[in-house]
Amino acid sequence: MIKVRTFHPVVRLKALLAQTGGITVGEALSRARQNLDLIRDDCIAAVDSKLDQIGALWQSQSPDRFAEMYRLANQVFAEAGAMGYAELSAASHSLCTLLAGAHEAPPSGAAVHVHIEAMRALRRLDSDESARVAVLQGLRTLAAKR
Amino acid sequence: MSAGVDPEARLNLARASVLLVEASQHSADVLAQIVKGFGVNDIHRALTTEEAEKVLHGRSVDLLLVDPSVSDGDGYRMLRDLRHSGGPNAYVPVVLISGHVRASDVARARDTGANFFVTKPITANTLLQRIMFVARDKRPFVQVGDYIGPDRRFKFEGPPPGSDGRRSGDLQAPLGDPAEPNMSQNEIDTIIKPQRVMI
Repeated sequence: MIKVRTFHPVVRLKALLAQTGGITVGEALSRARQNLDLIRDDCIAAVDSKLDQIGALWQSQSPDRFAEMYRLANQVFAEAGAMGYAELSAASHSLCTLLAGAHEAPPSGAAVHVHIEAMRALRRLDSDESARVAVLQGLRTLAAKR
Repeated sequence: MSAGVDPEARLNLARASVLLVEASQHSADVLAQIVKGFGVNDIHRALTTEEAEKVLHGRSVDLLLVDPSVSDGDGYRMLRDLRHSGGPNAYVPVVLISGHVRASDVARARDTGANFFVTKPITANTLLQRIMFVARDKRPFVQVGDYIGPDRRFKFEGPPPGSDGRRSGDLQAPLGDPAEPNMSQNEIDTIIKPQRVMI
């Protein structure tokens, strides 16, 4: 029989949340979205910079490039997604999956290249949703064949 | 609007202290802006586990939002150490906010002792739901082996079939047949309905 200790720690957050005053859930969400708009330009500029860095790393022959590309693609996944760039975020996630096992076996060079080009294209196709969906669909088809 | 959270429900986080641990400055900005929108005034940021541990050693926080990939995956170690620390922040509610997770990290994430997991990309709706969930989480903390954290089972459905169970509260024998017939609805109503008393 494994020894298990069970206890209920005091959670101050619960008491704080229930204090009188405050704001409604609707207001909280609305303010959060307005706040995100304040940093949108900075975030998108950072995403563009990270896409450039991923491309430059891919061109380099650095032995550590896959780990750094994975780290940057993971950030693009999160930051582009938070700013509403769903297809770019999904493509970045797919690149992360491709690079996640790079320490055991190098990923397919062609697949990495296609992902990077697709991510650049998705950023350029900012105003053309149907084209973005088509690019992402092509990437998913490629990923399914791997 | 958020599913599961009443938009007219009120919350007051003005006095809450929140620590955000993120690997990227811009991801930290995203999280900070959302949390600020929820009314939190006291927001601390850390871009490494070292910075986060300095904050945790120096003050009490009410909520920890952590990307475990921070400092090359050291976020998992940091959370486990926090739960074992016995310090003032040992049992603080923790939401793990993960990006792409390697298969090898899934078990590590499960064993950190976090209250809840959220996957990126983060949205205000999802984060608010999770914060309200962890604040009201009724699951007990358990210490078993090396694990300290909320009970990882959201439902308790008894020990697995064929097993005697591992807890003192686990039933050791199958339930027998009922000793009496089921109660009628009238009998149940008599027990639980408040009745007017004539004096």
